[in-house]
Amino acid sequence: MTHPSSTLDDTIHQRVRLGILAVLSESRRADFGYLQEVLEVTAGNLSQHLTILEEAGHIQIAKAFEDKRSRTWITITRRGRAALASEVATMRTLLDGISAQRT
Amino acid sequence: MNADEVRESLAYAQYARNRARQDVGRPWIALLLLASLSAVSLSLTDAATSLTSLLWAFAGPLGAGAIAIYAYRRNRSSGIESSPLAYVAITLGLLTLAYTAGKIGAVFQVAAVARFGPAFIVAAGYLAVAWIERSWIVAAIAAALLAVAVAIIGFDLTSPQSKALVFGLYGITLLAVGLGLRVGRKLL
Repeated sequence: MTHPSSTLDDTIHQRVRLGILAVLSESRRADFGYLQEVLEVTAGNLSQHLTILEEAGHIQIAKAFEDKRSRTWITITRRGRAALASEVATMRTLLDGISAQRT
Repeated sequence: MNADEVRESLAYAQYARNRARQDVGRPWIALLLLASLSAVSLSLTDAATSLTSLLWAFAGPLGAGAIAIYAYRRNRSSGIESSPLAYVAITLGLLTLAYTAGKIGAVFQVAAVARFGPAFIVAAGYLAVAWIERSWIVAAIAAALLAVAVAIIGFDLTSPQSKALVFGLYGITLLAVGLGLRVGRKLL
């Protein structure tokens, strides 16, 4: 029998990356500036996290030129949605386990 | 990893989710409310024979269209976009159900169904959306719509009185939606 924490995904199990996927899961797409504002991170930091998530296939990044300015739109993939759901479920299981041990 | 870290991660994810939901959801709820209330208003009147009905038949979709364009532009400028498909599907479903209920009531001469069926159907739809969106505004409007329908039945109000109540609710909803969008715009 494996401990629930062994099923946690290291790619997602990081505060900012979890936040990125949580925001994207509620929208069709979000742009770089919005994510930066909501998650309160620097552009460089956010960029690093986005690259990790993109390489893992959890998000897609598209650059566009709109209203004379460059915009970066980020979309969550099906794989990203599934990974987020699994991660949240695992964390809840862990918390339930801890609560059960205490009682 | 300890329990506090897990709790903190979950709370952070929930905060991000709520913020996105708040920023992205409100305009489409407005669209849904406008379109559905138009249908209720229309179905409670003598469609095609009354000038008021014709006014709402055009004003409803026009209002919904204006809100949709405003919401689309607002979402684009704010940096987060929702997919309107689910809301459009819900709106169309509610419109069809409300219209069908009104027509069935009229054809089979069941006055209660003809007059109150649409209001109950739309109110039930709103309650479902309120739960999905965790929106107190939508829940309040659903409750108000139910209260209006019950008042019409309980006090056996005349048709003009019923219309006045429903149109009054429609006006209040327009104001609430307008204010909600304005407040939302300032917050973004």
